[in-house]
Amino acid sequence: MTRRGRRVAITGLGMVTPLGNDRVSTWEALLAGRSGVGPIRTFDAGGFPVRIAAEVKGFDPRSVIDDRKLLKFAKPSHAFALAAAEEAMRDAGIRPDATTATRWGCAVGTGMMGVEFADLVEAHHQCAADGEFHPDHLLGDGAGPNPITFCRSQCSTGVALLLQRFGILGYATAVHTACASGGQALGTGMKLIRRGAADWVLAGGFDSMINPVGLSGFCLLGALSPDNESPERASRPFDATRNGFVLGEGAAFLILEEWEAARRRGARIYAELAGDGNSLSSYRITDSHPSGDGPIQAMQQALVDAGADPPDVDYINAHGTSTPMNDRSECAAVRAVFGPHAFKIAVSSTKSLMGHLIAAAGAVEAAVCALAIHHGLAPVNANLAVPDPECDLDIVRGGSRVQRIRVALSNSFGFGGSNSCLVFRNPEEVPGSTPGS
Amino acid sequence: MAESSKVLVTGLGAVCAAGKDPEAIWKSVGNGQSAISPIQQWDASGWPTSMAGEVTGMDARALVEDRKLHKMIRRTDLLGLYAAGRAIEDAGFPGYRETLDAEASVTFGDRTGVFVGSGGGAYQNQYEFFPLLTAAAGDLRTFGRELASTVNPMWLLRTLPNNVLCYIGIRYGLKGTNACVTNHSVSGALAVMEAVEAVRWGEADRAVAVGHDAPVEPETVLYYHRLGLLAPDAVRPFDATRRGTLLGEGAAALVLETAAAAAARGAMPLGEFLGGGCTSDAEGLLAIREDGNSLSRAITLALDEAGIAAADVGMIVAHGNATRQSDASEAAAIRRVFGATPPPLTAFKWAFGHLLAASGVLETVLALVALRHGVVPGLATLRTLDPALAPLPVSPAPQRPRSDIGLILSRGFGGINVALLVRALPTSGN
Repeated sequence: MTRRGRRVAITGLGMVTPLGNDRVSTWEALLAGRSGVGPIRTFDAGGFPVRIAAEVKGFDPRSVIDDRKLLKFAKPSHAFALAAAEEAMRDAGIRPDATTATRWGCAVGTGMMGVEFADLVEAHHQCAADGEFHPDHLLGDGAGPNPITFCRSQCSTGVALLLQRFGILGYATAVHTACASGGQALGTGMKLIRRGAADWVLAGGFDSMINPVGLSGFCLLGALSPDNESPERASRPFDATRNGFVLGEGAAFLILEEWEAARRRGARIYAELAGDGNSLSSYRITDSHPSGDGPIQAMQQALVDAGADPPDVDYINAHGTSTPMNDRSECAAVRAVFGPHAFKIAVSSTKSLMGHLIAAAGAVEAAVCALAIHHGLAPVNANLAVPDPECDLDIVRGGSRVQRIRVALSNSFGFGGSNSCLVFRNPEEVPGSTPGS
Repeated sequence: MAESSKVLVTGLGAVCAAGKDPEAIWKSVGNGQSAISPIQQWDASGWPTSMAGEVTGMDARALVEDRKLHKMIRRTDLLGLYAAGRAIEDAGFPGYRETLDAEASVTFGDRTGVFVGSGGGAYQNQYEFFPLLTAAAGDLRTFGRELASTVNPMWLLRTLPNNVLCYIGIRYGLKGTNACVTNHSVSGALAVMEAVEAVRWGEADRAVAVGHDAPVEPETVLYYHRLGLLAPDAVRPFDATRRGTLLGEGAAALVLETAAAAAARGAMPLGEFLGGGCTSDAEGLLAIREDGNSLSRAITLALDEAGIAAADVGMIVAHGNATRQSDASEAAAIRRVFGATPPPLTAFKWAFGHLLAASGVLETVLALVALRHGVVPGLATLRTLDPALAPLPVSPAPQRPRSDIGLILSRGFGGINVALLVRALPTSGN
């Protein structure tokens, strides 16, 4: 059975992350091992058990998006998305026009937070000041709920703003599988091009849960590192002393382009987006099986989908959240899939520096894989000081590693048990290919 | 398309205000009964809009047997799990799986996908923080300190949009390729499209496509009202006096399989998926292009994928949400594709409300049931066709489909449109 259809090139990248407000600054910080984690600045987190996060810093959407009316409908995470998408389009040197707009699609991994904290406070003031919800108070004599709040809080607001901003007229979707959302959005985008439903796809993810409610949700689950006194060391995937993840925020977008069309226009091809694998762990809502069951199938399917063999893989951008369980289970899965070759693969979790971007994580890490292949550099897994015998893979320690990468993998595993694995191929490894610069 | 690469429908499930299985809903619709009634979830008697299509007379236990789960998920998830379970059991998965040896059973799980269009409302989820906000009295430090003693530790997990995906997987041991689409009213239709593509491209042998939503909550109703989207009493698609839609809640599910996988199980196909298309207007969250341009492009894409002509379509299930703008642009799109003589056209939202993320799946399920009965149900609330939309083959009385092929249209915020084409397969002799 033919699985592949048309090839998909990655020709543009845009990022807004805790490490920098564009692709170049994010990549430089990653290579240098500069952490984006610090005390929370956007609100007073002094009373919370966790008071650190990886925040986007000094970001002004108006410097990238010259449309104040559009930005009025954008939550911070939507503004990250608009800026990252704009950068990706510029980087690719292509955008929808009158003749191509219907052949452009858009696939986004969208965050789960509906209402902004300020709007929740407003609703509380209006209809639940005593702690109990009184629906009739919503009717009030005042202005009542503001329709702009409604527009900003829809699950499809982000995709709608992107479509409007860039004039994309084709297939458009928004997906959410918690921390696997970004990876699944990219997989969806890839398949749209493969099967001919689009020739270009703006694909990526965006999220921000760094607000009192989002932080509360993860604090209540005990999922976050409580290392408030050493924020830069708090996220330490694969270290034996790891004790939880660090919440991040941001967005990344990739321009996916049908391979032959990209070559014809002489586009710079960072990498081929070559394969996608998805599975459900169907085990527990927050845990993956200690054996790696679930992630194993996702990786295997992704390799088959890409037509790649395990020994072709030189780099894995791990999900590597820095929780005790995830990292152990992920290493078990890598060993199960790759056998002896597992120990020859450079592995790093860039969450060690930029924290966990939740619905955006898979998209940001896909962009990192494309850059890693393009530059021949495996970024460092920061903060690994005490090796964990259960995480006995070749974790990139000390500093980023210069090495040619033929095939890279990016893992994203979400609450709810959705596992996403993406495969990226060096353009020089694509048969019959003479890619542009 | 080769016989073996056909994607067949082998199981159906549905629940909404009009009933708790596809046949019951079908009967209610066919009788011209609207299940839209005064809202019961809160006292809405003084509200500008007090009508909705709520699922009543079913407690949580009747929806999902596992009581431990009730505290872990939201109302919309209960509805989604119920409909998915009915479809999976209708398709006969559990019985078939018992006949397999251990290894084949593992393969069955790994090769079965789950695709969910998930809704659930954005507001009430976060009301669990109201007592904490009161206790904090505007001080975030107190908010942080009192958090653990005030809010349910499982709050975040309860509100995950992908809970139905997770718990279908756990309940039925399904572990294949998957997605959770959160794209307003096209979520369900896109879940069907992606499930079909996964099966068609060999990523899975079979897949369950589910749509679920429970948008009937005070803040949502009020916003829809303030935006002018809601009718005062009834949903009257394409009527001269139409004044908007009404919200409904519920869920529906389809089981999709390759012809080979269905034959291997001896499963009885109910229908066949023929094609789909998705397009965007790109004019903003709430804007709709008057000429219906992107909707007609979606229909054309679906026809092309199915390899059929417009004249082959036997029935259209319109989105028909009964807002002035949406119905007008929808009629324009239908005329552009089908010319002066479209096939008999109907819509279902008059009967149980607009189920948002669930609507595309529910209306696909009902389209298959309608075609299998050989009846295009009437639009019972239609009094006078809007002359601006005429001619349009709608009727309050039942019509006969021109063929066994149905076109189902879904439209969502962001100006995103989906068109699906299905063929009903005849009931065999037994």
